[in-house]
Amino acid sequence: MDWLEEIALRDRVQIHEILGRKVVGEITTDPRLGRADKLKRVKEQVRRWRFPRLAETEDAIRVKIQALKLHPGVRVSVPAGLEGGRLQIEISAASHRELKQLMTRLSEALEKTEVKEIFALLSGASSEQDRN
Amino acid sequence: MKPFKPEEVIVEQGSEQSPIWHNLRHALADVPFRVVESGSLLSVRAASTNDGFGDAKRRLYLTKHKGDFFKKCPGSEGQVCCNYFVINFASNCPMDCSYCYLQEYLSGNAELKVFSNVGDLIDEADRTLSKHRNVFFRIGTGEITDSLALEPYTGMVGELIPYFAEQPNVLLELKTKSDCVDSLLRFDPKGRIVVAWSMNPQKVIDRDEHFTASLKERLGAARRCQEAGYRLGFHFDPMIEYPGWETDYQAMIEEIFLTIDWRRLAWVSMGVLRDTPGLKRAMRERFPQTQLLTGEQVLCPDGKLRYFQPLRVTMYRKMVQWMRGVAPTVKIYLCMETREVWEQVFGYAPFCEKELGNQMAPSL
Repeated sequence: MDWLEEIALRDRVQIHEILGRKVVGEITTDPRLGRADKLKRVKEQVRRWRFPRLAETEDAIRVKIQALKLHPGVRVSVPAGLEGGRLQIEISAASHRELKQLMTRLSEALEKTEVKEIFALLSGASSEQDRN
Repeated sequence: MKPFKPEEVIVEQGSEQSPIWHNLRHALADVPFRVVESGSLLSVRAASTNDGFGDAKRRLYLTKHKGDFFKKCPGSEGQVCCNYFVINFASNCPMDCSYCYLQEYLSGNAELKVFSNVGDLIDEADRTLSKHRNVFFRIGTGEITDSLALEPYTGMVGELIPYFAEQPNVLLELKTKSDCVDSLLRFDPKGRIVVAWSMNPQKVIDRDEHFTASLKERLGAARRCQEAGYRLGFHFDPMIEYPGWETDYQAMIEEIFLTIDWRRLAWVSMGVLRDTPGLKRAMRERFPQTQLLTGEQVLCPDGKLRYFQPLRVTMYRKMVQWMRGVAPTVKIYLCMETREVWEQVFGYAPFCEKELGNQMAPSL
């Protein structure tokens, strides 16, 4: 509710106008979604409206992580709200051999430009350049 | 700046005849004074409207402070600290900034108070400073009040400057959003007193720094203080992000650094808008239309809300770039930020609070 009020204050609209937007209607009328999923998706959409640049930065980071094409045993993530500026890497291996293979593939992935670009996004550098 | 004038001065028994009382009587001859018994100060409260915190600023209370005056700045967990100390000679502030953290911190104790026992304050400070002569102390007086907004009436700072100006291991910082510097100009600060202004573009001052001096008034006061021998400081805190902020902040920096001699600045600090969920509730209640409620702030590990890190690092970097363009060697530090943010902005972070604190010590 706070988010809706803050969007309304920022954009000088009424809350019912926000909830009446097309994308909300598409979620709430989607027959494939259960009630809980609908609520979750509406909440996520409201979050993206409330924090547009944060969402844009998170999306850009997500795209770059996907571009690394990592093995499912390697999970790369960033903290909630991007606070801390750190990349978190989680490796799950069932054997020494698998671990070595995953580390080798991770090491290869780290050579891709996307990794530097992720750190640039975390430190605000790329957002500046994009705006300029 | 429209000077604040209390509707009434409530004096706790035992505070009459203090130097502060005499100053108040002289400066506020047309304001009613009432003496109340010791311990019953707060039984005399302003008639309540819906804004209890605002009501509490309408009267001025003169009382003895019963705890410690001299404290370490509490800082914030996990943030780089600058080894600052604080002296609280008053509580609350006659100004009314939308973002003021006192709305939460003093919500149950909001009465505008000045402490009459300035002698105890000086004695306490002297015990610490003389015991640790090989330690440099940077002491501020604006943690829970504005250091100078009440000065035309209380003369408090005028009682403190003669003492602190003689201490070899101190810089006393008087942080303010006012232009109430007239009484300071008759003192010789001897290089020990820093008068510092919290600064924001006029647009921010108009929207959210109610009853404070304008940017021009603050700058005019700063120049006068510098000409009288005071060191100056500037605190770009809180920095507010809004459409067009870059233009306004860059113009403000250029105006500031053209007005004063930046080579004699003691320090400059930066900090983005910080609040807590509790403070946001208070802001929403008292200032429901403020756009400060709409920034892209996230909850940080220390419990404070700040603009998300890439955004605020971008803001800090731009400010540093603009300042370096007009004042290449001015000392800039961040307030209440993590090592990671320091490293992203400056390429390094202080090793410890003493390192940062000592960087502020004047070269002797």
